Amino acid sequence: MLLTDYLKAAAEQWSEKTVLIHGNKDFTYSDLDKAAMGVAAGLQKIGVEPGFRGALLIDDPYEYIVSYFGILLAGGIVVGLNTQTSDASLAYVLNDCQASVLFSADKFIGHAQASMPLVSSVQKLIVSGIADKGVHLGNSCQMHSFNDICGCPQPALHALPYRSSCDFAQIIYTSGTTGKPKGVVLRHANLIANTSSIVSYLDLQSSDRVMAVLPFFYSYGNSIMLTHLAVGGSLVVNQSFLYPNVILQQMLDHEVTGFSGVPSTFALLLNRSAVASFSFPKLRYLTQAGAAMSPELTRRLKSTFQGVKIFIMYGQTEASARLSYLHPDEVERKPGSIGKGIPGVELTLRDRMGMPVQKGEVGEIVARGENIMAGYWQRPVETREVLRSEGLWTGDLARCDEEGFLYIVSRKNDLIKSGSHRIGPKEIEDVLTEHTAVYEVAVIGIPDEILDERICACIILRPGCECSEKELKAHCKKYLPRYKIPHSIIFFRDLPKTTSGKVQKSDLRLMVSTL
Amino acid sequence: MQANIERIRAFIFSNFLFDADEGTLDNDASFLEQGIIDSTGVLELVEWLEETFSMKVQDEELIPENLDSVNRLTRFIAQKTA
Repeated sequence: MLLTDYLKAAAEQWSEKTVLIHGNKDFTYSDLDKAAMGVAAGLQKIGVEPGFRGALLIDDPYEYIVSYFGILLAGGIVVGLNTQTSDASLAYVLNDCQASVLFSADKFIGHAQASMPLVSSVQKLIVSGIADKGVHLGNSCQMHSFNDICGCPQPALHALPYRSSCDFAQIIYTSGTTGKPKGVVLRHANLIANTSSIVSYLDLQSSDRVMAVLPFFYSYGNSIMLTHLAVGGSLVVNQSFLYPNVILQQMLDHEVTGFSGVPSTFALLLNRSAVASFSFPKLRYLTQAGAAMSPELTRRLKSTFQGVKIFIMYGQTEASARLSYLHPDEVERKPGSIGKGIPGVELTLRDRMGMPVQKGEVGEIVARGENIMAGYWQRPVETREVLRSEGLWTGDLARCDEEGFLYIVSRKNDLIKSGSHRIGPKEIEDVLTEHTAVYEVAVIGIPDEILDERICACIILRPGCECSEKELKAHCKKYLPRYKIPHSIIFFRDLPKTTSGKVQKSDLRLMVSTL
Repeated sequence: MQANIERIRAFIFSNFLFDADEGTLDNDASFLEQGIIDSTGVLELVEWLEETFSMKVQDEELIPENLDSVNRLTRFIAQKTA
Protein backbone atom coordinates (compact mmCIF):
# COMPACT_ATOMS: atom_id res chain seq x y z
CA MET A 1 0.00 0.00 0.00
CA LEU A 2 1.09 3.57 -0.73
CA LEU A 3 0.04 6.92 0.73
CA THR A 4 -1.48 7.81 -2.62
CA ASP A 5 -3.96 4.94 -2.17
CA TYR A 6 -5.65 6.98 0.56
CA LEU A 7 -6.64 9.69 -1.89
CA LYS A 8 -7.49 7.22 -4.67
CA ALA A 9 -9.72 5.13 -2.40
CA ALA A 10 -11.46 8.14 -0.89
CA ALA A 11 -12.02 9.69 -4.33
CA GLU A 12 -13.66 6.44 -5.48
CA GLN A 13 -15.86 6.06 -2.43
CA TRP A 14 -16.68 9.70 -1.60
CA SER A 15 -16.08 11.41 -4.93
CA GLU A 16 -18.29 14.46 -4.36
CA LYS A 17 -17.81 14.76 -0.63
CA THR A 18 -16.20 17.99 0.64
CA VAL A 19 -12.75 17.12 1.93
CA LEU A 20 -11.21 20.55 2.32
CA ILE A 21 -12.62 23.88 3.48
CA HIS A 22 -10.27 26.86 3.43
CA GLY A 23 -11.65 30.38 3.76
CA ASN A 24 -14.56 30.63 1.36
CA LYS A 25 -13.31 27.80 -0.87
CA ASP A 26 -14.14 24.14 -0.62
CA PHE A 27 -12.96 21.09 -2.54
CA THR A 28 -14.23 17.56 -3.03
CA TYR A 29 -12.20 14.36 -3.02
CA SER A 30 -12.67 14.25 -6.77
CA ASP A 31 -11.21 17.78 -7.08
CA LEU A 32 -8.11 16.80 -5.10
CA ASP A 33 -7.63 13.52 -6.91
CA LYS A 34 -7.91 15.05 -10.38
CA ALA A 35 -5.57 17.92 -9.50
CA ALA A 36 -3.01 15.57 -7.90
CA MET A 37 -3.06 13.37 -11.00
CA GLY A 38 -2.62 16.52 -13.09
CA VAL A 39 0.42 17.52 -11.02
CA ALA A 40 1.88 14.04 -11.47
CA ALA A 41 1.37 14.26 -15.22
CA GLY A 42 2.85 17.76 -15.29
CA LEU A 43 5.90 16.60 -13.36
CA GLN A 44 6.41 13.69 -15.71
CA LYS A 45 6.09 16.04 -18.66
CA ILE A 46 8.86 18.27 -17.36
CA GLY A 47 11.09 15.25 -16.96
CA VAL A 48 11.35 14.25 -13.31
CA GLU A 49 12.85 10.88 -12.45
CA PRO A 50 11.51 8.53 -9.73
CA GLY A 51 13.08 9.32 -6.38
CA PHE A 52 13.31 13.05 -7.10
CA ARG A 53 12.84 15.39 -4.16
CA GLY A 54 9.96 17.83 -4.62
CA ALA A 55 10.01 20.64 -2.07
CA LEU A 56 6.88 22.54 -1.09
CA LEU A 57 7.09 26.19 -0.02
CA ILE A 58 3.34 26.60 0.01
CA ASP A 59 0.85 27.73 2.63
CA ASP A 60 -2.33 27.24 0.62
CA PRO A 61 -3.73 23.89 1.80
CA TYR A 62 -5.31 22.93 -1.54
CA GLU A 63 -2.07 23.55 -3.43
CA TYR A 64 -0.08 21.82 -0.70
CA ILE A 65 -2.20 18.66 -0.69
CA VAL A 66 -2.43 18.26 -4.47
CA SER A 67 1.30 18.93 -4.86
CA TYR A 68 2.05 16.47 -2.05
CA PHE A 69 0.10 13.67 -3.70
CA GLY A 70 1.21 14.73 -7.20
CA ILE A 71 4.86 14.35 -6.21
CA LEU A 72 4.19 10.93 -4.68
CA LEU A 73 2.23 9.77 -7.75
CA ALA A 74 5.12 10.85 -9.95
CA GLY A 75 7.42 8.67 -7.83
CA GLY A 76 9.01 11.50 -5.88
CA ILE A 77 9.78 12.27 -2.25
CA VAL A 78 7.91 15.16 -0.63
CA VAL A 79 9.89 17.74 1.33
CA GLY A 80 7.45 20.09 3.08
CA LEU A 81 9.24 23.33 3.95
CA ASN A 82 8.55 25.64 6.82
CA THR A 83 7.13 28.76 5.15
CA GLN A 84 8.50 30.92 7.98
CA THR A 85 11.94 30.73 6.50
CA SER A 86 14.93 32.87 5.66
CA ASP A 87 16.85 32.85 2.39
CA ALA A 88 19.77 31.06 4.06
CA SER A 89 17.57 28.43 5.75
CA LEU A 90 15.76 27.71 2.49
CA ALA A 91 19.01 27.34 0.56
CA TYR A 92 20.39 25.04 3.24
CA VAL A 93 17.43 22.63 3.15
CA LEU A 94 17.17 22.60 -0.65
CA ASN A 95 20.87 21.84 -0.92
CA ASP A 96 20.78 19.25 1.83
CA CYS A 97 18.01 17.18 0.26
CA GLN A 98 19.15 18.02 -3.29
CA ALA A 99 15.64 18.98 -4.30
CA SER A 100 15.19 19.10 -8.06
CA VAL A 101 11.71 20.62 -8.01
CA LEU A 102 10.50 23.49 -5.85
CA PHE A 103 6.83 24.40 -5.61
CA SER A 104 6.50 27.95 -4.32
CA ALA A 105 3.59 30.24 -3.64
CA ASP A 106 4.12 33.61 -5.28
CA LYS A 107 4.32 35.30 -1.88
CA PHE A 108 7.51 33.34 -1.14
CA ILE A 109 9.08 33.90 -4.53
CA GLY A 110 11.49 36.44 -2.99
CA HIS A 111 13.01 33.71 -0.83
CA ALA A 112 13.11 31.33 -3.79
CA GLN A 113 14.83 33.92 -5.99
CA ALA A 114 17.37 34.81 -3.33
CA SER A 115 18.26 31.20 -2.59
CA MET A 116 18.45 29.94 -6.20
CA PRO A 117 21.99 31.20 -6.86
CA LEU A 118 23.10 29.16 -3.83
CA VAL A 119 21.26 26.01 -4.87
CA SER A 120 22.37 24.11 -7.92
CA SER A 121 20.05 21.12 -7.58
CA VAL A 122 16.72 22.84 -8.27
CA GLN A 123 15.97 22.55 -11.97
CA LYS A 124 12.25 23.32 -11.94
CA LEU A 125 10.47 26.05 -10.02
CA ILE A 126 6.69 25.75 -10.03
CA VAL A 127 5.01 28.96 -8.95
CA SER A 128 1.40 29.43 -8.01
CA GLY A 129 -0.37 32.77 -8.37
CA ILE A 130 1.67 35.03 -10.57
CA ALA A 131 3.75 32.89 -12.81
CA ASP A 132 5.08 34.89 -15.66
CA LYS A 133 5.93 38.27 -14.23
CA GLY A 134 9.51 38.25 -15.31
CA VAL A 135 10.99 36.53 -12.27
CA HIS A 136 14.73 36.12 -12.80
CA LEU A 137 16.18 33.05 -11.22
CA GLY A 138 19.79 33.59 -12.09
CA ASN A 139 20.65 29.99 -13.00
CA SER A 140 19.51 27.24 -15.30
CA CYS A 141 16.31 26.65 -13.33
CA GLN A 142 13.15 26.70 -15.42
CA MET A 143 9.99 28.27 -14.11
CA HIS A 144 6.50 26.83 -14.65
CA SER A 145 3.05 27.93 -13.62
CA PHE A 146 1.32 25.77 -11.01
CA ASN A 147 -1.91 25.99 -12.97
CA ASP A 148 -0.21 24.73 -16.14
CA ILE A 149 1.33 21.82 -14.26
CA CYS A 150 -1.85 21.00 -12.37
CA GLY A 151 -4.00 21.27 -15.49
CA CYS A 152 -2.11 18.61 -17.44
CA PRO A 153 -4.34 15.80 -18.77
CA GLN A 154 -4.52 13.02 -16.22
CA PRO A 155 -2.27 10.10 -16.96
CA ALA A 156 -3.40 6.49 -16.88
CA LEU A 157 -2.37 4.92 -13.58
CA HIS A 158 -0.13 2.42 -15.38
CA ALA A 159 1.77 5.34 -16.91
CA LEU A 160 2.93 6.37 -13.43
CA PRO A 161 6.11 4.87 -12.02
CA TYR A 162 5.83 1.77 -9.87
CA ARG A 163 6.53 2.43 -6.19
CA SER A 164 6.53 0.11 -3.24
CA SER A 165 5.65 0.75 0.39
CA CYS A 166 9.36 0.52 1.23
CA ASP A 167 10.14 3.52 -0.95
CA PHE A 168 10.86 6.88 0.65
CA ALA A 169 7.80 9.11 0.70
CA GLN A 170 8.77 12.13 2.73
CA ILE A 171 11.65 14.01 4.25
CA ILE A 172 10.66 16.19 7.20
CA TYR A 173 13.27 18.58 8.55
CA THR A 174 13.68 18.76 12.27
CA SER A 175 15.87 20.95 14.45
CA GLY A 176 19.12 19.39 15.54
CA THR A 177 20.90 20.11 18.79
CA THR A 178 24.22 20.34 17.04
CA GLY A 179 23.32 23.04 14.57
CA LYS A 180 21.58 22.66 11.24
CA PRO A 181 18.24 20.87 10.77
CA LYS A 182 18.28 17.18 9.81
CA GLY A 183 16.02 15.51 7.27
CA VAL A 184 13.96 12.67 8.74
CA VAL A 185 13.34 10.14 5.97
CA LEU A 186 10.00 8.33 6.15
CA ARG A 187 8.89 5.47 3.94
CA HIS A 188 5.31 5.03 2.73
CA ALA A 189 5.11 2.08 5.13
CA ASN A 190 6.22 4.19 8.13
CA LEU A 191 3.55 6.81 7.55
CA ILE A 192 0.86 4.25 6.76
CA ALA A 193 1.58 2.28 9.95
CA ASN A 194 1.36 5.43 12.05
CA THR A 195 -1.75 6.68 10.25
CA SER A 196 -3.56 3.36 10.80
CA SER A 197 -2.65 3.34 14.47
CA ILE A 198 -3.83 6.92 15.07
CA VAL A 199 -7.06 6.26 13.15
CA SER A 200 -7.76 3.27 15.35
CA TYR A 201 -7.22 4.87 18.77
CA LEU A 202 -8.98 8.13 17.83
CA ASP A 203 -11.72 6.01 16.24
CA LEU A 204 -11.76 8.35 13.25
CA GLN A 205 -14.65 7.93 10.81
CA SER A 206 -15.60 9.44 7.48
CA SER A 207 -18.02 11.67 9.40
CA ASP A 208 -15.12 13.33 11.23
CA ARG A 209 -14.23 16.89 10.36
CA VAL A 210 -11.13 18.35 11.98
CA MET A 211 -10.17 21.97 12.50
CA ALA A 212 -6.60 21.91 11.21
CA VAL A 213 -4.58 24.81 12.60
CA LEU A 214 -1.12 23.22 12.50
CA PRO A 215 0.92 23.57 9.31
CA PHE A 216 1.11 20.42 7.21
CA PHE A 217 4.91 20.70 6.89
CA TYR A 218 5.17 19.66 10.54
CA SER A 219 4.99 16.01 11.43
CA TYR A 220 1.92 16.59 13.63
CA GLY A 221 0.09 18.58 10.94
CA ASN A 222 1.09 15.98 8.36
CA SER A 223 -0.47 13.22 10.45
CA ILE A 224 -3.70 15.20 10.87
CA MET A 225 -3.92 15.53 7.09
CA LEU A 226 -3.15 11.87 6.40
CA THR A 227 -5.42 10.39 9.08
CA HIS A 228 -8.45 12.35 7.92
CA LEU A 229 -7.86 11.58 4.24
CA ALA A 230 -7.37 7.92 5.14
CA VAL A 231 -10.90 7.65 6.56
CA GLY A 232 -12.64 9.90 4.06
CA GLY A 233 -13.02 12.68 6.64
CA SER A 234 -12.77 16.43 6.12
CA LEU A 235 -10.32 19.20 6.97
CA VAL A 236 -11.28 22.76 7.86
CA VAL A 237 -8.01 24.60 7.51
CA ASN A 238 -6.85 27.85 9.04
CA GLN A 239 -3.16 27.63 9.77
CA SER A 240 -2.64 31.12 11.10
CA PHE A 241 -3.52 31.02 14.75
CA LEU A 242 -3.27 34.78 15.20
CA TYR A 243 -6.86 35.33 16.17
CA PRO A 244 -8.23 32.38 18.17
CA ASN A 245 -11.76 33.83 18.12
CA VAL A 246 -11.81 33.49 14.34
CA ILE A 247 -10.85 29.82 14.67
CA LEU A 248 -13.56 29.23 17.29
CA GLN A 249 -16.16 30.76 15.00
CA GLN A 250 -15.02 28.52 12.13
CA MET A 251 -15.22 25.48 14.39
CA LEU A 252 -18.80 26.38 15.15
CA ASP A 253 -19.79 27.31 11.59
CA HIS A 254 -18.37 24.12 10.10
CA GLU A 255 -19.50 21.86 12.93
CA VAL A 256 -16.08 20.32 13.42
CA THR A 257 -15.80 17.07 15.36
CA GLY A 258 -12.10 17.32 16.19
CA PHE A 259 -9.42 19.84 17.05
CA SER A 260 -5.69 19.27 17.38
CA GLY A 261 -3.13 21.54 18.93
CA VAL A 262 0.12 21.94 20.80
CA PRO A 263 0.12 23.22 24.40
CA SER A 264 0.50 26.84 23.27
CA THR A 265 -2.60 26.47 21.07
CA PHE A 266 -4.64 25.44 24.09
CA ALA A 267 -3.00 28.02 26.35
CA LEU A 268 -4.00 30.72 23.87
CA LEU A 269 -7.55 29.39 23.63
CA LEU A 270 -7.94 29.23 27.39
CA ASN A 271 -6.16 32.47 28.25
CA ARG A 272 -6.83 34.85 25.39
CA SER A 273 -10.01 33.91 23.59
CA ALA A 274 -13.74 34.00 24.12
CA VAL A 275 -13.88 30.18 24.26
CA ALA A 276 -16.08 30.24 27.35
CA SER A 277 -18.87 31.90 25.39
CA PHE A 278 -18.87 29.19 22.70
CA SER A 279 -20.33 25.72 22.76
CA PHE A 280 -19.54 23.03 20.24
CA PRO A 281 -22.25 20.38 20.18
CA LYS A 282 -20.54 18.36 17.43
CA LEU A 283 -17.03 18.41 18.92
CA ARG A 284 -16.00 14.85 19.77
CA TYR A 285 -12.27 14.96 20.49
CA LEU A 286 -9.26 17.17 21.17
CA THR A 287 -5.71 15.98 20.65
CA GLN A 288 -2.61 17.50 22.19
CA ALA A 289 0.99 16.77 21.29
CA GLY A 290 4.17 18.65 20.43
CA ALA A 291 5.35 19.24 24.02
CA ALA A 292 4.34 18.39 27.55
CA MET A 293 1.14 20.11 28.61
CA SER A 294 0.89 20.93 32.29
CA PRO A 295 -1.69 18.96 34.27
CA GLU A 296 -3.26 22.29 35.26
CA LEU A 297 -3.79 23.32 31.63
CA THR A 298 -5.19 19.86 30.91
CA ARG A 299 -7.60 20.21 33.84
CA ARG A 300 -8.79 23.60 32.58
CA LEU A 301 -9.18 22.21 29.08
CA LYS A 302 -11.30 19.36 30.38
CA SER A 303 -13.47 21.70 32.37
CA THR A 304 -13.95 24.06 29.40
CA PHE A 305 -14.67 21.30 26.87
CA GLN A 306 -16.90 19.12 28.99
CA GLY A 307 -17.94 15.84 27.40
CA VAL A 308 -15.18 16.08 24.76
CA LYS A 309 -12.57 13.33 24.71
CA ILE A 310 -9.07 14.69 25.35
CA PHE A 311 -6.15 12.69 23.98
CA ILE A 312 -2.74 13.57 25.42
CA MET A 313 -0.16 12.30 22.95
CA TYR A 314 3.59 12.07 22.59
CA GLY A 315 5.77 11.49 19.58
CA GLN A 316 8.65 12.52 17.39
CA THR A 317 9.13 13.32 13.75
CA GLU A 318 11.45 10.29 13.69
CA ALA A 319 8.40 8.13 14.51
CA SER A 320 6.29 9.56 11.65
CA ALA A 321 4.57 11.53 14.40
CA ARG A 322 3.09 9.42 17.16
CA LEU A 323 4.51 7.08 19.80
CA SER A 324 2.15 7.10 22.77
CA TYR A 325 -1.21 8.41 23.95
CA LEU A 326 -3.08 8.70 27.20
CA HIS A 327 -6.61 7.38 26.89
CA PRO A 328 -9.18 10.13 27.62
CA ASP A 329 -10.63 8.03 30.47
CA GLU A 330 -7.25 8.16 32.22
CA VAL A 331 -6.56 11.89 31.91
CA GLU A 332 -7.77 12.70 35.43
CA ARG A 333 -6.37 9.55 37.05
CA LYS A 334 -2.91 9.89 35.48
CA PRO A 335 -2.16 13.64 35.31
CA GLY A 336 1.12 14.43 33.59
CA SER A 337 1.40 11.02 31.95
CA ILE A 338 1.97 10.53 28.21
CA GLY A 339 0.15 7.20 28.47
CA LYS A 340 1.29 4.01 26.78
CA GLY A 341 2.57 3.04 23.36
CA ILE A 342 0.04 3.41 20.52
CA PRO A 343 -1.11 0.24 18.75
CA GLY A 344 1.83 -1.25 16.87
CA VAL A 345 4.48 0.58 18.92
CA GLU A 346 6.51 -0.92 21.75
CA LEU A 347 8.08 1.52 24.18
CA THR A 348 10.74 0.51 26.68
CA LEU A 349 12.83 2.51 29.13
CA ARG A 350 16.52 1.69 28.97
CA ASP A 351 19.73 2.66 30.70
CA ARG A 352 22.87 3.82 28.88
CA MET A 353 23.97 0.26 28.32
CA GLY A 354 20.69 -0.55 26.58
CA MET A 355 19.26 -2.61 29.43
CA PRO A 356 15.62 -2.14 30.47
CA VAL A 357 15.31 -0.23 33.76
CA GLN A 358 13.16 -1.37 36.70
CA LYS A 359 9.65 0.03 37.15
CA GLY A 360 9.84 3.48 38.76
CA GLU A 361 13.42 4.07 37.60
CA VAL A 362 14.28 6.68 34.99
CA GLY A 363 15.43 5.51 31.58
CA GLU A 364 15.52 6.72 28.00
CA ILE A 365 12.42 5.99 25.92
CA VAL A 366 13.27 3.55 23.14
CA ALA A 367 10.65 2.82 20.50
CA ARG A 368 10.09 -0.01 18.08
CA GLY A 369 7.43 -0.16 15.39
CA GLU A 370 6.71 0.05 11.69
CA ASN A 371 6.41 3.81 12.03
CA ILE A 372 10.08 4.41 12.87
CA MET A 373 12.00 6.40 10.23
CA ALA A 374 14.43 4.95 7.73
CA GLY A 375 17.09 7.38 9.03
CA TYR A 376 18.35 10.93 8.67
CA TRP A 377 18.91 12.00 5.08
CA GLN A 378 22.57 11.54 4.14
CA ARG A 379 23.65 11.43 7.80
CA PRO A 380 24.75 7.89 8.63
CA VAL A 381 26.56 8.87 11.82
CA GLU A 382 23.58 10.69 13.35
CA THR A 383 21.31 7.87 12.17
CA ARG A 384 23.42 5.24 13.92
CA GLU A 385 23.36 7.30 17.13
CA VAL A 386 19.58 7.03 17.42
CA LEU A 387 18.64 3.91 15.43
CA ARG A 388 20.23 1.03 17.31
CA SER A 389 19.40 -2.62 17.72
CA GLU A 390 16.95 -1.83 20.52
CA GLY A 391 15.00 0.64 18.35
CA LEU A 392 14.74 4.43 18.14
CA TRP A 393 16.46 6.16 21.05
CA THR A 394 14.28 9.20 21.54
CA GLY A 395 16.50 11.28 23.82
CA ASP A 396 13.58 11.65 26.23
CA LEU A 397 14.00 10.38 29.77
CA ALA A 398 10.96 8.94 31.50
CA ARG A 399 9.75 6.72 34.29
CA CYS A 400 7.00 4.16 34.21
CA ASP A 401 4.46 3.55 37.00
CA GLU A 402 3.19 0.18 38.24
CA GLU A 403 0.43 0.15 35.64
CA GLY A 404 2.76 0.88 32.74
CA PHE A 405 1.93 4.56 32.27
CA LEU A 406 4.87 6.69 31.16
CA TYR A 407 5.89 10.06 32.56
CA ILE A 408 8.51 12.23 30.84
CA VAL A 409 11.08 13.41 33.36
CA SER A 410 13.47 15.40 31.19
CA ARG A 411 15.12 15.55 27.82
CA LYS A 412 18.70 14.65 27.08
CA ASN A 413 19.02 17.44 24.57
CA ASP A 414 18.44 21.14 25.11
CA LEU A 415 16.00 21.76 22.26
CA ILE A 416 13.76 24.73 22.91
CA LYS A 417 10.04 24.11 22.45
CA SER A 418 8.41 27.39 21.58
CA GLY A 419 4.83 27.25 20.34
CA SER A 420 4.69 24.51 17.74
CA HIS A 421 8.41 24.86 16.97
CA ARG A 422 11.35 22.81 18.18
CA ILE A 423 14.42 24.95 18.01
CA GLY A 424 18.06 23.97 18.31
CA PRO A 425 19.87 26.69 20.31
CA LYS A 426 23.15 26.00 18.54
CA GLU A 427 21.89 27.35 15.22
CA ILE A 428 20.92 30.64 16.89
CA GLU A 429 24.18 30.77 18.83
CA ASP A 430 26.14 30.29 15.60
CA VAL A 431 24.35 33.20 13.95
CA LEU A 432 24.82 35.52 16.94
CA THR A 433 28.49 34.59 17.25
CA GLU A 434 29.03 35.88 13.73
CA HIS A 435 28.10 39.40 14.86
CA THR A 436 31.29 41.42 15.31
CA ALA A 437 30.24 42.79 18.72
CA VAL A 438 29.47 39.39 20.23
CA TYR A 439 32.15 37.68 22.29
CA GLU A 440 30.15 34.80 23.72
CA VAL A 441 26.56 33.64 23.56
CA ALA A 442 24.31 31.01 25.10
CA VAL A 443 20.72 30.53 23.98
CA ILE A 444 18.21 29.02 26.37
CA GLY A 445 14.48 28.46 26.65
CA ILE A 446 12.74 30.21 29.52
CA PRO A 447 9.28 29.15 30.72
CA ASP A 448 6.31 30.93 29.20
CA GLU A 449 2.65 30.50 30.05
CA ILE A 450 1.49 30.53 26.42
CA LEU A 451 4.46 29.41 24.34
CA ASP A 452 5.84 26.81 26.75
CA GLU A 453 9.25 28.38 26.25
CA ARG A 454 10.54 31.72 24.98
CA ILE A 455 13.93 32.01 23.34
CA CYS A 456 16.41 34.00 25.37
CA ALA A 457 19.91 34.84 24.12
CA CYS A 458 22.46 35.58 26.83
CA ILE A 459 25.30 37.65 25.43
CA ILE A 460 28.74 38.82 26.46
CA LEU A 461 29.90 41.67 24.24
CA ARG A 462 33.50 42.08 23.12
CA PRO A 463 35.43 44.60 25.24
CA GLY A 464 34.84 48.12 23.97
CA CYS A 465 31.91 47.09 21.76
CA GLU A 466 28.40 48.38 22.07
CA CYS A 467 25.37 46.80 20.52
CA SER A 468 21.64 47.03 21.17
CA GLU A 469 19.07 44.25 21.45
CA LYS A 470 17.38 45.59 18.32
CA GLU A 471 20.64 45.44 16.34
CA LEU A 472 21.21 41.83 17.31
CA LYS A 473 17.63 40.87 16.45
CA ALA A 474 18.01 42.57 13.07
CA HIS A 475 21.20 40.54 12.55
CA CYS A 476 19.31 37.31 13.39
CA LYS A 477 16.52 38.26 10.99
CA LYS A 478 18.99 38.20 8.10
CA TYR A 479 19.87 34.56 8.68
CA LEU A 480 17.09 32.94 10.68
CA PRO A 481 13.37 32.40 10.22
CA ARG A 482 11.22 34.69 12.36
CA TYR A 483 10.34 31.99 14.90
CA LYS A 484 14.02 31.45 15.70
CA ILE A 485 14.73 35.11 16.48
CA PRO A 486 15.24 35.39 20.26
CA HIS A 487 12.31 36.91 22.11
CA SER A 488 14.73 38.56 24.49
CA ILE A 489 18.42 39.32 24.57
CA ILE A 490 20.15 39.81 27.91
CA PHE A 491 23.67 41.16 28.27
CA PHE A 492 25.98 39.56 30.84
CA ARG A 493 29.51 40.20 32.09
CA ASP A 494 30.06 36.46 32.73
CA LEU A 495 28.20 33.26 32.00
CA PRO A 496 28.17 30.34 34.46
CA LYS A 497 30.59 27.63 33.30
CA THR A 498 31.51 24.06 34.11
CA THR A 499 35.11 23.30 35.02
CA SER A 500 35.72 22.35 31.41
CA GLY A 501 34.59 25.82 30.34
CA LYS A 502 31.19 24.83 28.92
CA VAL A 503 28.29 27.18 29.63
CA GLN A 504 26.12 25.66 32.35
CA LYS A 505 22.70 26.25 30.93
CA SER A 506 20.77 24.97 33.94
CA ASP A 507 22.47 27.61 36.10
CA LEU A 508 21.94 30.22 33.42
CA ARG A 509 18.20 29.44 33.33
CA LEU A 510 18.11 29.92 37.08
CA MET A 511 19.96 33.24 36.81
CA VAL A 512 17.62 34.50 34.11
CA SER A 513 14.55 33.45 36.09
CA THR A 514 15.64 35.65 38.99
CA LEU A 515 16.25 38.77 36.89
CA MET B 1 -4.49 60.20 15.55
CA GLN B 2 -1.28 60.79 13.59
CA ALA B 3 0.75 60.52 16.79
CA ASN B 4 -0.77 57.11 17.50
CA ILE B 5 -0.04 55.94 13.95
CA GLU B 6 3.61 56.87 14.46
CA ARG B 7 3.75 55.09 17.83
CA ILE B 8 2.20 51.92 16.37
CA ARG B 9 4.57 51.96 13.41
CA ALA B 10 7.54 52.47 15.70
CA PHE B 11 6.43 49.48 17.80
CA ILE B 12 5.93 47.26 14.74
CA PHE B 13 9.32 48.15 13.29
CA SER B 14 11.08 47.83 16.60
CA ASN B 15 9.60 44.44 17.47
CA PHE B 16 8.73 42.65 14.24
CA LEU B 17 10.33 44.26 11.20
CA PHE B 18 13.63 45.29 12.81
CA ASP B 19 15.79 46.58 9.97
CA ALA B 20 13.10 46.84 7.29
CA ASP B 21 12.70 50.01 5.27
CA GLU B 22 10.01 52.34 6.69
CA GLY B 23 8.34 52.45 3.29
CA THR B 24 7.69 48.71 3.33
CA LEU B 25 4.70 48.91 5.64
CA ASP B 26 1.45 50.29 4.32
CA ASN B 27 -0.91 51.43 7.10
CA ASP B 28 -3.69 49.28 5.63
CA ALA B 29 -1.52 46.17 5.17
CA SER B 30 -2.79 43.10 7.01
CA PHE B 31 -0.27 41.87 9.58
CA LEU B 32 -1.64 38.37 9.02
CA GLU B 33 -1.47 38.32 5.23
CA GLN B 34 1.93 40.00 5.13
CA GLY B 35 3.30 37.53 7.68
CA ILE B 36 4.43 40.42 9.89
CA ILE B 37 3.12 39.08 13.17
CA ASP B 38 2.58 35.55 14.47
CA SER B 39 0.34 34.45 17.33
CA THR B 40 2.95 35.37 19.94
CA GLY B 41 3.34 38.71 18.26
CA VAL B 42 -0.36 39.43 18.67
CA LEU B 43 -0.03 38.85 22.40
CA GLU B 44 3.00 41.15 22.57
CA LEU B 45 1.03 43.73 20.63
CA VAL B 46 -1.91 43.48 23.04
CA GLU B 47 0.40 43.74 26.05
CA TRP B 48 1.94 46.86 24.53
CA LEU B 49 -1.48 48.39 23.77
CA GLU B 50 -2.62 47.80 27.33
CA GLU B 51 0.52 49.32 28.83
CA THR B 52 0.97 52.19 26.44
CA PHE B 53 -2.63 53.35 26.18
CA SER B 54 -3.78 52.30 29.67
CA MET B 55 -6.61 50.24 28.24
CA LYS B 56 -7.87 46.71 28.82
CA VAL B 57 -8.28 44.57 25.71
CA GLN B 58 -11.04 42.02 26.28
CA ASP B 59 -10.66 38.48 24.94
CA GLU B 60 -13.64 39.07 22.63
CA GLU B 61 -11.81 42.05 21.12
CA LEU B 62 -8.90 39.94 19.83
CA ILE B 63 -10.17 39.94 16.28
CA PRO B 64 -8.61 41.08 13.00
CA GLU B 65 -11.10 43.93 12.67
CA ASN B 66 -9.45 45.57 15.70
CA LEU B 67 -5.83 44.55 15.41
CA ASP B 68 -4.79 43.51 11.92
CA SER B 69 -3.27 46.71 10.49
CA VAL B 70 -1.87 50.04 11.62
CA ASN B 71 -5.07 51.82 10.65
CA ARG B 72 -7.31 49.24 12.34
CA LEU B 73 -5.25 49.53 15.51
CA THR B 74 -5.47 53.31 15.39
CA ARG B 75 -9.27 53.17 15.15
CA PHE B 76 -9.45 50.58 17.92
CA ILE B 77 -7.33 52.72 20.25
CA ALA B 78 -9.49 55.76 19.47
CA GLN B 79 -12.64 53.79 20.32
CA LYS B 80 -11.25 52.37 23.53
CA THR B 81 -9.80 55.60 24.82
CA ALA B 82 -12.68 57.87 23.77
